[in-house]
Amino acid sequence: MYKFLLCLKYLRTRYLAFVCIVSIMLGVATLIVVNSVMSGFSNKLKDRLKGVLADVIVETDNFAGFQMHPDLLADKIQHSPAGKYVDTVAPTVEVVGTVQFSFRGMNIVKPIKLTGVDPAKQVKVGGFGQYLERQKNVAVPSFDLSPEALAQHEKNVQLEALMTEPMPQPVRDEPDFLGKGPDLKADGIPLPPVPMPELPAIVPPKPIGIVVGHSLAHFRYKHPETGQMVEEATLRIGDTVMIATLAANEMRPVWGTYVVVDYFKSEMSEYDSQFIYMNLPDIQRLRHMDERVTHLQVKLKDDCPKGYTFVKGNVANEIQKLFGRYEGRAATWEDHQGPLLSAIDIERAILNLLLFMIVGVAGFSILAIFTMIVSEKIRDIGILKSLGASNRGVMGIFVWYAFLLGVVGCTAGTIAGLGITNNINEIEAFINTLTGQQLFDRSVYYFDRIPTNVEPATVLLVNTGAMLVAVFSSFLPAYRAARLRPIQALRFE
Amino acid sequence: MLTAENLTKTYRRNVDVVKVLNGVSFTVRDGEFVSIVGASGSGKSTLLHLLGTLDSPDSGVISLDGKRVDNLPKRDQDMIRNRTFGYVFQFYHLLPELSAYDNILMPAYISNSLLGWWKTRKEWRKRADELIERVGLSHRKKHKPRELSGGEMQRTAIARALLQRPRVLLADEPTGNLDAEKGNEILGLLHDLNRTDGVTIVMVTHNLEMAGTTDRVVRLSGGRVVEEKGPAFRPRLMPAAV
Repeated sequence: MYKFLLCLKYLRTRYLAFVCIVSIMLGVATLIVVNSVMSGFSNKLKDRLKGVLADVIVETDNFAGFQMHPDLLADKIQHSPAGKYVDTVAPTVEVVGTVQFSFRGMNIVKPIKLTGVDPAKQVKVGGFGQYLERQKNVAVPSFDLSPEALAQHEKNVQLEALMTEPMPQPVRDEPDFLGKGPDLKADGIPLPPVPMPELPAIVPPKPIGIVVGHSLAHFRYKHPETGQMVEEATLRIGDTVMIATLAANEMRPVWGTYVVVDYFKSEMSEYDSQFIYMNLPDIQRLRHMDERVTHLQVKLKDDCPKGYTFVKGNVANEIQKLFGRYEGRAATWEDHQGPLLSAIDIERAILNLLLFMIVGVAGFSILAIFTMIVSEKIRDIGILKSLGASNRGVMGIFVWYAFLLGVVGCTAGTIAGLGITNNINEIEAFINTLTGQQLFDRSVYYFDRIPTNVEPATVLLVNTGAMLVAVFSSFLPAYRAARLRPIQALRFE
Repeated sequence: MLTAENLTKTYRRNVDVVKVLNGVSFTVRDGEFVSIVGASGSGKSTLLHLLGTLDSPDSGVISLDGKRVDNLPKRDQDMIRNRTFGYVFQFYHLLPELSAYDNILMPAYISNSLLGWWKTRKEWRKRADELIERVGLSHRKKHKPRELSGGEMQRTAIARALLQRPRVLLADEPTGNLDAEKGNEILGLLHDLNRTDGVTIVMVTHNLEMAGTTDRVVRLSGGRVVEEKGPAFRPRLMPAAV
């Protein structure tokens, strides 16, 4: 009983303990805020990665694609042991290439990742549909030119025709040095034009639509006067580009002219700045690869009975068994993005380790302050021992005291941490107003707001860690107090 | 009956060896009020601390009703200090963070767990109220030690020492820090407790006048009992409940 009574009294009267509480509070609050923001970033990144990738991806290193027809491959997967978990199999062709287009008189060439998709199936396996800007969340996106794209395209064609019309020749009134002319009769009347044979009308080929990554089609710059980030389209809807890649069966370049019908904005710079999507048959035709594909995107059923993560790994393994070692590789989307996801996890772990040092410092402050308190309280310890308090009891006073400081510090830290996390964008805006500096550059991350995600398990872990540090830090001074002999303590002045 | 036989105690500080007690033997009977006197450094306080198990002798035996208490395990000695002995010190030794009332209740706080206290709190509070009234501090129960006078602090310390109804009250110069008037008040209180409640008291003092009022005076010199004198022991029926 006396342990609790004295702990509470010390907590209320020893203002030095306030330093311990503040140290613990700062440590806990910082860890909660950093973990929440890191988790928010990580989740956002994973969501985006997951959005552009399927659950399981099967790919071949053969540049010509799988030997089998994609329908047969899909059938093979559907009839395998993994088939019961599989919802959709979408075939794709993914190759590297270049895109060339004109912008303000400049000829621009950029490396691209060219992906041929079946829009009807692709929307089922990933977030393809939700990242399209003009056809966002359309049930089956189309590569056909929209009226807007068509109008712009026709305008471009007319402009091009105008620019390529032959230059008008001057009328010659005397023979030139080659002996041609004069184009005038002797009386000065121009000769009638030579009649041209009638040619059949050339039907222009039907433009083929493509979807271009948002960053590939735009560039950002800081406005010299306002200092604001400004975005300008280098490729407008309806603009024509030339795409070049390699043929499927032989090392020779193939190219074609395509029209931009939509933008793709996943907010993943790697995708938005490199990816160009086109209709699967178009890319197959371009690369002369018949109906073959290089990738299969596998979507699992949402109601996997044994848990999504478990099933996903097993499905990848089962699918791998269907393909020879060199024929194809099956991997989950996490395996595909393993290095990036690992980097985030490592970054978070290192940050946690570094920030936990704040709690470590709090621990040392408890150690130092408790050593002082024990020295200050030696006579009281003697009194308690003369009244029958045991060594364990005396030790308990200081350990419980540290525990109580930990509870108060952790509670305050958790409240502060959650408060800051919930209002981090408002706090950032306030600091921006105060300093005039933007702490969180939206143009870097494409996020409108700083993403946060409070994980209860992490909050619990941080609190437990801080409590353990607080309690362990008190052990040495508490043990020193407990070891004092009553008379030694009573005589201490 | 509290008995000390051949007690020796030596303090060492670096190379200096000071033999404080050198074979002290004496007995305190139940209900007796004994005072120990002697010059400074004669070992009075050391003897009192040994009797109350606050310190352990180098050799010799201390027994209470024939049972040795000097070699008991620490846990049992803690219990004896809590329930069998009551201590009153020259410098009061009250806990500064607690009120006079909580200081008086401290032995009960120590002997009870949280649950135990909850179950018995009413009895303990009743007992503390009786004692605080007995020492005349009912109006000061909520005051912190720093708000009390020396005499009031010592009376609080006496009430605390009596809370567990101890067999023996050990008082180490209880009036040493008080003026004559307050000192006499405290002495009167101790006599009253001894006479009316039958509390056995061992008091260390260097005030021979005060010592003369007790049942027996034991004089220490050079670490030995050199003289024991006093009126004949007045036996009591039993150490009545205080």
